[in-house]
Amino acid sequence: MNRLIQAIDRFGRSILWYVEEMGRISLFFISALSWLVRSPLKVRLVFKQMEFVGVKSIFVVVLTGTFTGMVMSLQGYYGFRLFSAESLVGSTVALGMTRELGPVLTALMVTARAGSAMAAELGTMKVTEQIDALYVMAANPIRHLIVPRVVASIAMVPALTIVSDFMGIMGGYFVGVKLLKINEGIFLKNIYKLVGLDDIYNGLIKAACFGLILSLVGCYKGFTTYGGAEGVGRATTEAVVIASISILISDYFLTALMF
Amino acid sequence: MRSISTEAKVGLFILIALIILGYMSFQVGEYGFGLKKGYIVTAVFDNVTGLERDAAVQIAGVEVGKVEKISLVDGKALVELRILPNVQVEKDATISIKTHGILGDKYVDIVPGETKGSYIAERGQFQNVEKQADIDKLLVELGNIAEDIRVVTGALRKVVGGDAGESNLSAIITNVKELTANLNSVVKANDRKFTVLVDNLTSASKQMEQTFASLSEITGKVNQGEGTLGQLVTNKGVFEKLDNTLASIQTITEKINTGEGTLGQLVTNKGVFEKMDNTLASIQTITDKINAGQGTIGKLVNDEETVTNLNSSLKSIDKSMVGINRFVSKADQFRTFLGYRGEYFFEKSDGKSYIDVTIQPKEDKFYILGLVSDPRGRRKTYDRITDGVTVRTEEWDRNGLLFNAQIGKRFNDLLLRGGLLESTGGFGVDFFAMRDNLKLTFEAFDFDLDRDPHMKVFGEYQILKHLYLTAGWDDFLNRDNDSLFAGFAIRFEDEDLKYLLTSAPIPK
Amino acid sequence: MIQLIDIHKSFKKQKVLDGLNLEIEDGKITVIIGRSGGGKSVLLKHIIGLIKPDSGQVIVDGDDIAAMNERQLNETRKKFGMLFQEAALFDSMNVEDNVAFPLREHTKKKEREILEIVKDRLQAVGLPGVEKKMPSELSGGMRKRVGLARAIALHPRIVLFDEPTTGLDPIMTEAIDKLIVDTQKMYNLTCIIISHDIKSALEMGDKVAMLYEGRIIEEGTPEKINNSENPILRQFLSGSLEGPISVI
Ligand SMILES: Nc1ncnc2c1ncn2[C@@H]1O[C@H](COP(=O)(O)OP(=O)(O)O)[C@@H](O)[C@H]1O
Ligand SMILES: [Mg+2]
Repeated sequence: MNRLIQAIDRFGRSILWYVEEMGRISLFFISALSWLVRSPLKVRLVFKQMEFVGVKSIFVVVLTGTFTGMVMSLQGYYGFRLFSAESLVGSTVALGMTRELGPVLTALMVTARAGSAMAAELGTMKVTEQIDALYVMAANPIRHLIVPRVVASIAMVPALTIVSDFMGIMGGYFVGVKLLKINEGIFLKNIYKLVGLDDIYNGLIKAACFGLILSLVGCYKGFTTYGGAEGVGRATTEAVVIASISILISDYFLTALMF
Repeated sequence: MRSISTEAKVGLFILIALIILGYMSFQVGEYGFGLKKGYIVTAVFDNVTGLERDAAVQIAGVEVGKVEKISLVDGKALVELRILPNVQVEKDATISIKTHGILGDKYVDIVPGETKGSYIAERGQFQNVEKQADIDKLLVELGNIAEDIRVVTGALRKVVGGDAGESNLSAIITNVKELTANLNSVVKANDRKFTVLVDNLTSASKQMEQTFASLSEITGKVNQGEGTLGQLVTNKGVFEKLDNTLASIQTITEKINTGEGTLGQLVTNKGVFEKMDNTLASIQTITDKINAGQGTIGKLVNDEETVTNLNSSLKSIDKSMVGINRFVSKADQFRTFLGYRGEYFFEKSDGKSYIDVTIQPKEDKFYILGLVSDPRGRRKTYDRITDGVTVRTEEWDRNGLLFNAQIGKRFNDLLLRGGLLESTGGFGVDFFAMRDNLKLTFEAFDFDLDRDPHMKVFGEYQILKHLYLTAGWDDFLNRDNDSLFAGFAIRFEDEDLKYLLTSAPIPK
Repeated sequence: MIQLIDIHKSFKKQKVLDGLNLEIEDGKITVIIGRSGGGKSVLLKHIIGLIKPDSGQVIVDGDDIAAMNERQLNETRKKFGMLFQEAALFDSMNVEDNVAFPLREHTKKKEREILEIVKDRLQAVGLPGVEKKMPSELSGGMRKRVGLARAIALHPRIVLFDEPTTGLDPIMTEAIDKLIVDTQKMYNLTCIIISHDIKSALEMGDKVAMLYEGRIIEEGTPEKINNSENPILRQFLSGSLEGPISVI
């Protein structure tokens, strides 16, 4: 009985912790936002982050996107064949990629690659007093470290999502048309017919939101690191966990709002 | 070799991403990049079950547009169609909703009219809306029903038509009388159980009564529509037979009604009742079928157009209806919106409210009148010359209420407006995106030589039917007064106001 | 002049500064000594506004830092340079960019001019030619010297040193001490040095202050400190385990 209460207690605590973190991250977001609009962007820093978040993630995103599209195509084929609707495989892949899998998978990959790196990098800067050094040199760390990362992520996650969407559909096309011999014309026509501009654009809006989330969480976790190397490790792990959960949760609400 | 710079890599990547996006958008978007090409035509249907936004519009199987919007007007469905700009539709074209595709998607089918040269204009309405299903289908259905009726008639005749049937019936009645007497004694002995039994039987007989009621309803309808039906169904005799049969049924019903509750319990004349049962079941089936097909028959029977054409006296009513129609459609164009907008300024911990009336006499033309309550007021600069020294003071004029009066015109996704903004001259640009769900606005007003004009940017996103969220940056040129803000807006089309404005005499 | 008046600071339940008072004169070297973990770094961070006191005032040139907003604080901070305990060089930038950072941030100088200044400062700290190296490629002593070059890049009036010589070999310690004194003379800086190297503290300092249990328990010229009768100070000076400071 006691155990049960303890378990419930622990569960409640972890939810409370998550909610508190969300609140603190939101406040953090507001201060980042006020710096974003108040002072000119550090364009060079933004580009550097764009390279790190975007350009260097292309490979993993191409890989995950392509294989996701391929496997969707394969699975969809087995399912739709049951009622002779193989021609819908293409549009299923395309809709799935543009609406959900493109943005979400990309965001998760970028979280794993770049969000964690942000937490680790800023965390190290924090514990080695580099962030204090910025303050001392009258250079606001939010402007120098956070804003470029957030802006870069908001811009690059959608860009990566486009690539992911495209590669996913290509992968689906390859498996569906080339391997499983679904009629190419109908396969493509159904994509054009059933996928709308809204599907693509809403997916990209989602991606931008995810970019915001993952960079904010990564930066926040790094920024509030304490306790040396161990603290940096903890911050990194928490950043990935919180960002991934938040991406999936917000995905539901964004979907409910948009589609 | 110099390595590629960060900027070049990022730029190249974004360029590639944008090219892919452009390509995908172009492939997917029928009209390319979300631009809304083509013109709108409307049609009013009684029922558009299954028809969805973006469903195809076809002429002769060729897609010529999409369903733009479906809304409810006076209990009917007003469907707006966006037709490709190079496609013209004759005024007497016929429009209907059909089904195709393996998933049974509904689409809108247009059958071109006869009079070439007279075409439906922008926001014009289809006059010929096909209500009935295919005439072929209808005939087949009618044929089936007639066949069913013939079978039943035959069966009924066998049961009650001949002498044997009559004697059977009188035997039943005798039995009933006997049984009633017997039952009386049973009732006394077994009162409670019996009540339940009788209740059950009563409800059973009620159901039967209902069956007969609906049957006679159909008969009535068929009788009325006989003339029309006669043209379609050659075998007129069937209906006479049916009439006779129904009369007999009525008689039977009455007879049975006297023996009411106990009918089900009668087992002595098992054969007759089995037949009777079967017959009733068939009648039920037919009733159901006709009921289901009722719409189809009803349409034939009550063909309004035929009635109006035949009856000249109704023509005048028709004319006045057209007049009313025109009046209503004029009111339709004349739209009025009431809006409230609240903004909260973060940097000032202060709020600002707007109330406005937007009058839209044409689709692309707007008049906006409004009040702005600004508790912060407006900044005024005063120059005072004391002892030859100019002293400049800035004050907040807290005379809170400001006025908006603007005229606007919309070009595609862009709305330009100008006039009085917050009691000063100014202009605004609204950019609409995502089917008008998102509005991005830029405003500039309060032009003053001494300082930068008041400029404001904000976005407004529709989250519910009448509710919008908004956020932006106010007075961003003036560093000491700039502020981020967020808030919400409520906007709705005021039907009452619309009615008042259109029906009150307006001096020309 | 910098005045710390009745500073109290606790982290959660742990009281670090407890009614601390200290005055720092312009153009002099003030050395603060004290135990490890005694709150010296915390004290230094109060002076530059990185940490705000729970109560008390930090007055720099007549203005209370503790009451300043971000904008005013940034203005005041431009008077300061600070060398952190671990140098706190930016890992992501090479030495040149590190030293150039405050110049790029706060001056409108041309790039050529900036690189010239960087070269000059690196020369001054005895590290010519390391411009293109990354901080990770430098030894601890070199990092501190680069940190010093960065701290003085903007010609600040006041420079704070957080244990500039801790963890260095005696020769490097001597070299850095000399560098600090020379730099101070050259630019007539106000220097605040934190150290637990008692020998160099007494050599360099115009004034020495002892921080113990959240307060300054003794302050004055090196001679005064050297001859103090305070048992705590005596134990600290002799480095003995016997005395009022219990370690174990
Ligand atoms: N930001 C902080 N949060 C919590 N505790 C801190 C913080 N900074 C310093 N402390 C604590 O204050 C005490 C003094 O630290 P510090 O000033 O770094 O010592 P030192 O005199 O060695 O420089 C230590 O016990 C340390 O744990
Ligand atoms: Mg320390």
